[in-house]
Amino acid sequence: MAEPRAAGGPQIVAQFKPEDATGGGGAVATATLAPEVPVAPGTPGASAVPAAPAVESRLTGIGRGVARWAAALAGAIAIFTVLLLLKGANPASVYSNVWTSTFTNQPSIEQIFVKAAPLLLGALAVVVPARAGLVNVGGEGQIVIGAVAAGGIGISLGDRLGGGLVMILMVVASMAAGAAWAGLAAVLRLTVGINEAVSTLLMNYIALDLLLYLIYSPWKDPHGTGQPTTAPLADTAKLPYLGTTAVHVGIVFALIATAVVWLLLRYTTWGFRLRVIGGNPEAARRAGLPVALLLLSAMLVGGALAGLGGMVHYAGVEYKLRTGITTNFGYIAFLASWLARHNPVSVVLAALALAAITVAGDSLQLDSALPAATVNILMGLVLIAVLGWTTRKKSGGKAR
Amino acid sequence: MRFRSRRVVVAFTAVASALAIAAAGCSSAASHDSAATASGSSAPGKDSKAVGFIFVGPKDDYGYNQAAYQGSQEIKKAFPDLQVITAENVPEDDNAARVMEGMIQKGAKIIFATSYGHLDAALKVAAAHPDVVVVQQGNVIADGKVTANTGTYFGTVYEPVYLAGIAAGKATKSNKLGYVYAFPIPQTIANIDAFELGAKSVNPDAKTYTVNTSNWCDPAKQAQATQSLLSQGVDVISQHQDCTGTVIKATEAGGAFTVGYHADASSLAPKGWLTGSEWAWGPLYTDIVKTALGGTFTGSKYNANYRVGYKNGENPFVQSKFGPSVTQETKDAITKAKTDISAADGSPFKGPITDQEGKVRIPAGTVPDYATLDTIDYFVDGVVGELPKS
Repeated sequence: MAEPRAAGGPQIVAQFKPEDATGGGGAVATATLAPEVPVAPGTPGASAVPAAPAVESRLTGIGRGVARWAAALAGAIAIFTVLLLLKGANPASVYSNVWTSTFTNQPSIEQIFVKAAPLLLGALAVVVPARAGLVNVGGEGQIVIGAVAAGGIGISLGDRLGGGLVMILMVVASMAAGAAWAGLAAVLRLTVGINEAVSTLLMNYIALDLLLYLIYSPWKDPHGTGQPTTAPLADTAKLPYLGTTAVHVGIVFALIATAVVWLLLRYTTWGFRLRVIGGNPEAARRAGLPVALLLLSAMLVGGALAGLGGMVHYAGVEYKLRTGITTNFGYIAFLASWLARHNPVSVVLAALALAAITVAGDSLQLDSALPAATVNILMGLVLIAVLGWTTRKKSGGKAR
Repeated sequence: MRFRSRRVVVAFTAVASALAIAAAGCSSAASHDSAATASGSSAPGKDSKAVGFIFVGPKDDYGYNQAAYQGSQEIKKAFPDLQVITAENVPEDDNAARVMEGMIQKGAKIIFATSYGHLDAALKVAAAHPDVVVVQQGNVIADGKVTANTGTYFGTVYEPVYLAGIAAGKATKSNKLGYVYAFPIPQTIANIDAFELGAKSVNPDAKTYTVNTSNWCDPAKQAQATQSLLSQGVDVISQHQDCTGTVIKATEAGGAFTVGYHADASSLAPKGWLTGSEWAWGPLYTDIVKTALGGTFTGSKYNANYRVGYKNGENPFVQSKFGPSVTQETKDAITKAKTDISAADGSPFKGPITDQEGKVRIPAGTVPDYATLDTIDYFVDGVVGELPKS
């Protein structure tokens, strides 16, 4: 536990920053900057005194966090149970059916991982900008644009080049396109001061319109049946499956991306500086950090990850661009990131959990004949419960 | 970028290489088509214990999905021992394949994929389960791609729509009819064309104005589309949407006439309702299930792109009742037209048919068959609005 100590101080600051952004932010940021300047990595003495209690409080913090999560989930399930009773369903059999159809059956488990891949990448696209205090609501549009870029490569080169080369080109193009789409929002914020939460959200609709234009006209499958889709991706360019499962390698891409994001945010100067900006951009500016460049880079990285999410969904599952290519992955991913409090490790669990709820929704309909909206209610309850009941209260902030 | 510890670099490299190895262990793309599961020797669908239905929208949408859901419930009556599993709001993408797989796991060997865009997923599931009959409603499987356990079925929807067009052509005062549609698929194009042809047969000045929404059920876009038609002076509005309530309510509120689609929604437009077309799926669904259960699906008429209309049997798409303003003269004109297009040498599309550019698409005297009209890709003369070009 020697290494994380150096990062321990700023980490905690960054965590409870949002609650008192208007208040003691300046003082806090000064405190975070302090260790950065004198402490060379690995210098033992410098952080020894404040670090010991910090580590301790973090451990109990984690325990408390898990307990809160569990309590919140239990609460959500309790409310959902009442709703099931009101619908005249037998909760015991509903839950046991969900369990057997979703978690004890290989095809369903595989589908959870298939769904989780773009969700996780879309969530990371929220995590990275959030570290710098930016709100990226544009995951949906960036996923669409990533899929469009991959689709462009797929239909133009898919059957002309080797499959491996096409895949690499699709990855590069989708990440570049996603980054550019998110970068536009960052530039709007940095030049004319348009809030990125608004611009990224609005750009989702532009992305969808662009997709519609392409699949209605220039990219429409000439041999199709009239439905606006592109021609299917060549077999060689489809993402391979993992072993004999129906899970494509997209989930591996997503996990690699998670590891990279975690390492970058935690152990690089870049990641540290993003946290400082997230804590207090003004203090960061005064400390001489290139704030504009850092904010831009955070959005670019986020957009690239979402774009990759679009690519893995296109080349791993759909093989065609369609009107509803994302089925709202971008927005669910946004929720996943908030569910995980923008933590790049817990976001894996959040993405898997939301993917599992989606797949479990099948059982609610097929086994228990509940309406399709039931699964949305369950998802909404879980989100409200976890966000509402685990948010650190303003008064709670004082205690730490 | 400066890493803060050498140990981290080592850990990073280790993680990256582990994942690279995992990726290398993946199967190649060649094995992409999932292997067919063991099917046994029995015919597809034979002795199934359950039937599965997927719907793209909610099963109470005053429209397409509600009609299909009602049809599915009639199977329960015909085969009391059969379990009927339904799933609504199933998107037209790979999610549909997942839901159908879930139905197969619950014992369904007969599956109805009821939306046009469910076809890709339906064919994928059918390929993986040769023992399961997967039929799709309304789309067309390409030549030579119909396998032993697949098929599509539909009514010739444009026939009753042509008749409804006659009512619209008689009712309009501005000679402007409106059509709100979702996607420029052949089925929809044929409807719009037939509507215009029907109107023109009794009112040579009638034109049909089109707006598309790119969505089977998006009430916000439907309301917008309806308003834009009304503001152009359109006084009769029809539609090809899955959920029909919004357009009908907006049309009624705007004082225009309604021609319904998919379901009898005359209660939503007590004043403006003219007529419409609606589904009666029960008999066709029941017969498909009976065929599959008996083990004779393969080679049957349903093991193809099956279309049934006035000429060859019982069209599942029937005329809705007339509204209060429809005159006896109009009703008589419709009855006569129905007899005409049911005859061997009759069709709403009996030549000459010219397209919007004035080019003759169907020469004089030619009567196109159902299969030809399943691929129609042009608006006829008199339709206003462009089809997206591909």
